[in-house]
Amino acid sequence: MERMQLLKEIGEVSFMVNDLTLYLDTHPTDTEALTMFSDTMNRRKQLLKTYAEQFEPLTMDCVCPEANNQTESYTKYPKQKHFTWSDGPLPWEGGI
Amino acid sequence: MWTYEKRLQYPVKITKPCPKTASLIISQFGGPDGEMAASMRYLSQRYTMPNKEVGGLLTDIGTEELAHLEVICAMIYQLTKNLTVEQAKTAGFDAYYVDHTTAVWPTAAAGVPFNACEFQSKGDAITDLFENLAAEQKARTTYDNLIRIIDNPEVREPLKFLRAREVVHFQRFGEALERVKANLDSKNYYYYNPEFDKQLLKK
Repeated sequence: MERMQLLKEIGEVSFMVNDLTLYLDTHPTDTEALTMFSDTMNRRKQLLKTYAEQFEPLTMDCVCPEANNQTESYTKYPKQKHFTWSDGPLPWEGGI
Repeated sequence: MWTYEKRLQYPVKITKPCPKTASLIISQFGGPDGEMAASMRYLSQRYTMPNKEVGGLLTDIGTEELAHLEVICAMIYQLTKNLTVEQAKTAGFDAYYVDHTTAVWPTAAAGVPFNACEFQSKGDAITDLFENLAAEQKARTTYDNLIRIIDNPEVREPLKFLRAREVVHFQRFGEALERVKANLDSKNYYYYNPEFDKQLLKK
């Protein structure tokens, strides 16, 4: 999947996690919200993993020099084992 | 502790520089009702919050405010990127340019630097939560003012997102206040300091 499309989906699903977190802070036993939280969190983890495999890792937990950035995009070290945390554009650079 | 996630909470893609707009929205970075004051307020207050769930809420909202601060800074950065000397002379931005070039620095739109006196951490759950409710409304009003005078949709969309979050945070702080009140002794109808005067907590 294309970088920007995947990033958009990560943004959407992560926002759902943020908003549900605040709701659950004040409604910790709402079972419907808890189910939604689990489903959304699973989807987020899956998308972060997919993104890190194709492009740069977005979180430190996704950093895996052996498996990250298979498309070799935005890297100074193509075809060379390196610390992939520094791959990719900076977030404030206007979505590339 | 905190970990960084390498993306903005809401995408910012501003294609045309406008230092005038940057000099206005900078208030939501370092101004009296900006995101820096918001994050520091909640992240400072949480240590003495007597109700554990409310302490957790302060952590989570304070953390989200840090993400908002980053969105605002990204907007300021993009609005002042690759300026010509003529653009740097824009009224309202010229004085800032002299001191900071195009670096991002926390200040109010009117030039008052960020100051911790913009927020309070009082050590009284009731006082602090009322402070937070007011803070969310003040930030919402500031976003309303900005949205009213800024036309560029590339700037308006992130501002509208941030405005909507103030409304949600106000709601959550309202619920938090009810939780704290429900935990007070019924004789404490003036809601005096529940963390210092512990005899006023529900037995």
